[in-house]
Amino acid sequence: MKTFDYVKAKDAGHAVALLAKHGRAARILAGGTDLLVELKSAAHTPEVVIDISRVASLKGISVTDEGLRLGALVTHSEIIGSALIRDVFPGLVEAARSIGAVQTRNLATLGGNLMTCVPSMDSGPMLLALDARVTVASPGGRRQIPLQELFVGPRKTALGPDELLVEIVIPKPHVGKPAAFQKFGLRKGQALALVNAAASFWIDWDKNSFRQARIALGAVAPTVIRAVKAEAYLEGRPITLEAMAEAGRLAAMEAKPISDFRASAGYRRDLIAVLVKRALECAQTRAMKKAPVHA
Amino acid sequence: MLDVTMIVNGERRTASVPPETTLLKLLRDNFQLTGAKLGCDVGDCGACTVIVDGQPVNACLMLAGQADGCQVLTIEGLATKDQLHPLQKTIEESGALQCGFCGPGVILSAKALLDQNPDPAPQDIREALAGNLCRCTGYAKFIKAVQDAAAMLRGKAPAKPGQLEASEQRHGR
Amino acid sequence: MDDKPTLIEQERRALTEKLRSAEENLRLPAVSPRENLPVESHVLQPGQQFRVVGERVTRPDSRMHGLGLTRYIDDLSFPGMLYAKIKRAGIASARIKRIDTSAAEAMPGVMAVLTGREIPVNSFGPSYQDQPVLADEIVRHAGDGVAAVAAVTEQIAEEAAQKIVVEYEPLPAVFDPLEAMREDSPKVHSPNSNIYASKVIRRGDVEQGFAQSDHIFEARFSTQMVEHVPLEPHAAIADWDANGRLSLWVTIGRITLARADLARTLKLPMNRIRMIATIVGGNFGGKNEITQEPALALLSKKAGRPVKGVFTRGDEFISTTTRHPFVMEYKTGVAKDGRILARKVRLILDGGAYCSWSETTLGKACILSCGPYRIDNILAEAFVVYTNKTMTGSMRGFGAPQVCFAYESHMDDIAKALGIDPLAIRLRNAFEEGSLSPTGQVLQSVVVKESLLMAADRFGWETRS
Repeated sequence: MKTFDYVKAKDAGHAVALLAKHGRAARILAGGTDLLVELKSAAHTPEVVIDISRVASLKGISVTDEGLRLGALVTHSEIIGSALIRDVFPGLVEAARSIGAVQTRNLATLGGNLMTCVPSMDSGPMLLALDARVTVASPGGRRQIPLQELFVGPRKTALGPDELLVEIVIPKPHVGKPAAFQKFGLRKGQALALVNAAASFWIDWDKNSFRQARIALGAVAPTVIRAVKAEAYLEGRPITLEAMAEAGRLAAMEAKPISDFRASAGYRRDLIAVLVKRALECAQTRAMKKAPVHA
Repeated sequence: MLDVTMIVNGERRTASVPPETTLLKLLRDNFQLTGAKLGCDVGDCGACTVIVDGQPVNACLMLAGQADGCQVLTIEGLATKDQLHPLQKTIEESGALQCGFCGPGVILSAKALLDQNPDPAPQDIREALAGNLCRCTGYAKFIKAVQDAAAMLRGKAPAKPGQLEASEQRHGR
Repeated sequence: MDDKPTLIEQERRALTEKLRSAEENLRLPAVSPRENLPVESHVLQPGQQFRVVGERVTRPDSRMHGLGLTRYIDDLSFPGMLYAKIKRAGIASARIKRIDTSAAEAMPGVMAVLTGREIPVNSFGPSYQDQPVLADEIVRHAGDGVAAVAAVTEQIAEEAAQKIVVEYEPLPAVFDPLEAMREDSPKVHSPNSNIYASKVIRRGDVEQGFAQSDHIFEARFSTQMVEHVPLEPHAAIADWDANGRLSLWVTIGRITLARADLARTLKLPMNRIRMIATIVGGNFGGKNEITQEPALALLSKKAGRPVKGVFTRGDEFISTTTRHPFVMEYKTGVAKDGRILARKVRLILDGGAYCSWSETTLGKACILSCGPYRIDNILAEAFVVYTNKTMTGSMRGFGAPQVCFAYESHMDDIAKALGIDPLAIRLRNAFEEGSLSPTGQVLQSVVVKESLLMAADRFGWETRS
């Protein structure tokens, strides 16, 4: 690695001020599991690395009036270990467990995973399927945007050079929504997703039909995407395995997978159909375990 | 230059290093603790695994500055002056190590597991060791050794050879 | 002080003793117990046997491994030691027009720079000495080293290597071994043919065997390039003493061969070279020959200081030997009952940019290519071919795994086509005591059938669903 200046941010405000000062010459260090790999092979390193890993206000998992709040610095291990998340969003735990190995998960952060913004990210699909929003801090204050708007392209987010991702919020109406995550990689551990998929829906118990279904796909388009046609198909439809299978097929057609040395586009489409169906089935199983509750 | 201070294996250590220095380099070059190894430098192989504030991490993926003020445990800090850690004893007795290069990382990952889970099932051990690659062995003896060490720590006698299957039955997987 | 301990003191000592003895089995012996060495030497009596088989022993190195105290090459450090980096071509086939090392040499902290033309004898290899230490005219694969730097830190060495300017004239390249066999293909070691070694084994008359067969089966199999990925990357440290003797601490397995290669490339008498190998972090055949060692030795000589070089994981993949990809064509003639009457095999080994251990691999693969089966009529031809890819060398099995995949898959296909049980067809054809190998060796202690039957019994072959 080439050298750089290193500074520890004292708090979120300090981090933002440093970003404002250095702009694109600075990089944020949260867990470092993506950043250090990048810096080791980069032709140019940043002038400044801003270490935010100790900023307390960016940590923590809590239920607020807004909904479920996860600080940007929450690690994947903390998600797995959180009794709250295991109870309310086992799908988030599934996603976290699929990332890397224990060593990676102890350092790598949720915010970092979102900000590195590769299409195959494992945390994005589940959060997207839960209508998550992210809070961004800048010198001008804070703003909140839907998670979908954060993703612009591979390794490209909507954040400006002086903006910092501070938290992820799953809005209150979606807290407790039955959801599940599926990933297929060439190995069970330490694997990039060939395809990952997340699904969530409420059950209209009177009609036993899908309500507010969300299907999100990763690694099959320039960013994590929602399969909106598949979602529309499910809305109001009676819950059957056939409907889930059809939703999977529709989702596969909405994706734009590429062929690369890991898999062909056709294989990825087949995987989408299977993983979406499985995610929907798993979400239904989770829904059945709880008494009918509507937001 | 960046000044860092940390507790390494119970001792207060300080160093003045370029900011881009990884924790791995700090441990190996500055503190002469060469137990953590450089296998890939990108956090894929786990040969650099050390325990920071109770959690196993890839030392090649941490900057020295990130570990400032932390408690770091390396393989050299596991045995006392005259006693092996049970994991070191069971891994030696089971013949789990061949070239030994992955050993320090595996042992520390296993120790971190046993700190959290005193009676791990084989699948728990596999998940805990998923970030430690070994090219010499087939991992099977590691799993037995970790279970034997867990038994020792719980004050029980380790299972006899061939009893891995029985343990899998006990845990249901 | 009292001679007689109080009751409290007695209890305290008893408790301490109890705790101490409870952890006896975790205790590390500080010093080995004294032994009385016998005055008379042991004289072995004829027929005397020692009990070794069946004894439970621990590996002697396990203790140090578990303590993290084993020192591999990269764990060694010498005062004043420099760090070396090798600049790799990054282009598969090219002529080097110009190398400009001036920017690297001018960098503070850079103590020595080396290019291929400074190497006294710039060629090495276990059978053909066709590989340069550092390419000085022609680059034959993207991992070819073209220059080396030694500096006071790894970081400076890396930066200096990047500052070395190399001008290449791209040349045609060939990546497929079948293509490389054609006369009109680009020549990797011009003007020689790309087919650099071959082997033929003939027995009986295959054409007659096929004519007598009830069925003939043909198939083609291929296997891919495999990298050893030892957890420990290649590493070496070179140092000269005041009398001009070279010491090298290396991860190499075959150190006598390595020493000969160092003597040859450096034009140094062998008695001035000391190769020190220690516990290696995995070899699997990938550390059987020199790589960077002559370059490190020359850098060390120039700088007057020890020089250490450690391969990155990237170097491991592109610049160290790999397992040969094989293309294997099988033609087998069988009788109705599945007995093999004739077998014709054609093996094409992707031999990479340099020979390395290809000749050995070729020979072994060819000899083993017909499988452990009694066949009267054999024609096995094997060729190894240059391509502009990473060198292919020794990797556990040395050609055996590839052909085994082919002849066993082929056997299953034949069994299926004939409606014969896969185990039965093998028992029908397997070697027996006194069978001849394809090269005419009379085989002894043959237990193929016994092993198959024992395994079948243990797997429950008869009762499988």
